[in-house]
Formats: sequence, structure tokens, C-alpha cells
Amino acid sequence: MAAAGRGTAFGRGFWALAPLWLGVIPFGAAYAITARGAGLSLLETQALSVLVFAGSAQFSAVGLFAAGAAGLEIVLTTLLLNVRHLLYGLALGREVDLRRRERPVAAFFLTDEAFGVIAAAKERSFAFVLGVELSLFMMWNLATLAGFLAGAAIPDPTELGVDLVFPLAFVALLVPLVRTRAELTVALTSGALAFGLARALPGGLPILLTGIGGSLLGAYLTRGTPPDRTIRADDAAREVA
Amino acid sequence: MSFWLTVAGMVAVTFGSRYAGLVRRTELPDFWVRFLHFVPIAVFASLVTPYLEGDLGEWGIRIAAASVAALAAWRTRQLWVAIVVGMAVFWLLRIPW
Repeated sequence: MAAAGRGTAFGRGFWALAPLWLGVIPFGAAYAITARGAGLSLLETQALSVLVFAGSAQFSAVGLFAAGAAGLEIVLTTLLLNVRHLLYGLALGREVDLRRRERPVAAFFLTDEAFGVIAAAKERSFAFVLGVELSLFMMWNLATLAGFLAGAAIPDPTELGVDLVFPLAFVALLVPLVRTRAELTVALTSGALAFGLARALPGGLPILLTGIGGSLLGAYLTRGTPPDRTIRADDAAREVA
Repeated sequence: MSFWLTVAGMVAVTFGSRYAGLVRRTELPDFWVRFLHFVPIAVFASLVTPYLEGDLGEWGIRIAAASVAALAAWRTRQLWVAIVVGMAVFWLLRIPW
């Protein structure tokens, strides 16, 4: 990363995201340990971090692999979780003037955290955007690798109850998102619904159905209140997903 | 579907979502903007409850650990603190006192 000096637009972007590394490292490590427990190889675990590069979608995917979910269920859950990036893309497209061939690159590495940092910054060049995005990409992949290798030191993951890391991680991701009564209602209803559905339906179907149902409930409960289209930087950064 | 076919699908829908917003200049209807706001909340909650039970019949102490982890997440807003506190409570409660 010779170009990552603070003097260049890329370097300023790279270091603007660095404070978020502290949150990314344990998340990436927890993902890799869960992936290892689900029976994924190092290549498979790392490939998801390189190619998909979406924390909560990768995390839920390895949980679903372990639960024996069908590939289609995993892909649809990924779509459901990541389709909100559409909003970030829309906002980024308005804010930053990107050339045609720069767009696919900026889109591939776009995440909640990167969008949050870019939205809060004043710089609007492609180099700055790329610096922010690759800063997270690098750390996410290093954390994945480190987590997977550290997982080798855990003698018997099942005996230790390491599978508990999975629901605990999603508790930690969920709690900061719940601030209003409607959000609390959706969280509690979805938790109860998924629990009930998981007794009756196999694989990833309970998560998929609950995700759609819970989101529809939330949209219904907040009808009449105009949605806040100005995505606040701290919100996006907090949704470590 | 094999692992790599699933990965290809995940890449397609993820990149598709990220790219579609960048190249289009349209606005989503209000209802769907609100829908998308609730997606992480609904999905994250649905990834907690079915996985709390575990395979070893320890649901009681696992729920206790998750409750303390939720409290830690609420107070600190730090993912790693919640996981470390949750696992610590779980291992402590496992000890046959």
C-alpha cells in the first residue's frame, strides 16, 4: 500500500476508515471461526470475504450452510440482506461524479461502513472512495484469515459451545439498531416468528419468510411517517453489516 | 446446489444490489425505503432465536448468556464486548458448581 500515504486522495480515504478497523477485526474473526465450525475450508471461507464482501450476509450464509439450507435459500437471504445497498448506491451516485468504468469498481467494494465514512467526509473523488472501500476490504480479509487460523487452536469447537458465537454476534448487531417502538416490535415479532417457523420448516426458509414478513410489518407500522431518505453517516457505520 | 454455485449466486445478488443503485437515477417508493430499513432488524432477530437452543440441551444457560450479551451490546455498542461477555457467562454457568 505504497499509495496509502496521507498525502493522496486514496491515502486520505484509506485512513479515514481506519478507526472502524477495531470493530471489523472481531467481526471478521468471529465469522471465520463460525465458518470453520460449519465445515468450510480456508479457501471457501476466504473466497466469501473476497468475492461477496458483506459481513452479515457471509455470517448468515455459513450458519445456513451448517444448518443444511439449500443454495437457493442462502442466495435469497443474501439478496434480502444486501438489497439495501441499493440506497447507498443511489446516494453515492448523486454525490460523487463517477466515470462509467469506475462505477462497477466503486459498486463492488461498497459497504455500510464505507458509505458511512464517505457520506461524512468532504472529499468526493473516485480515488478517495476507493481508498475508503479498500481499507475495509483489506482489514476484513486479514481478519478472516487470522480468525480461521486462530480457530485451529480450538481443540473441540462443539464441546466448547463455539456455535453460540453465531446467535451472540447477531444479538450484538441487532441491539444497536433497535431505537423506536416499531423497531422493537419488529425485532421481538421476528424473533418469535423465526423460532416458531424453525420447528416446522427446514433450512433457511424460516429466516427468509421472517425477514420478508418482519420488514413488511415494519413498513406497515411506520406508514404515514415519511422515510428518512438522508442516510446518516453514523447510522450506516453502526449497521456493521 | 454446490458450494461454488451458491457463492456465484451470492456474488451476483450482492454486486447487483450495489451496482443497480449507482447506475440508476430513480427514487424508490416510500414504502420500500421503509421496508429496507427494517430488513436487518427482522433478519438479525430471526438469526438469533432458532440458534439459541443448541444441540447439547443447554438452552437455559445459552438464553441467560444471550440476555447478558444483549445488555452488554446495549451498554457498549461493541460487537466484541457482547460476544466475549456472552461466552464468559456461558462457560461460567456450565461449571457444575
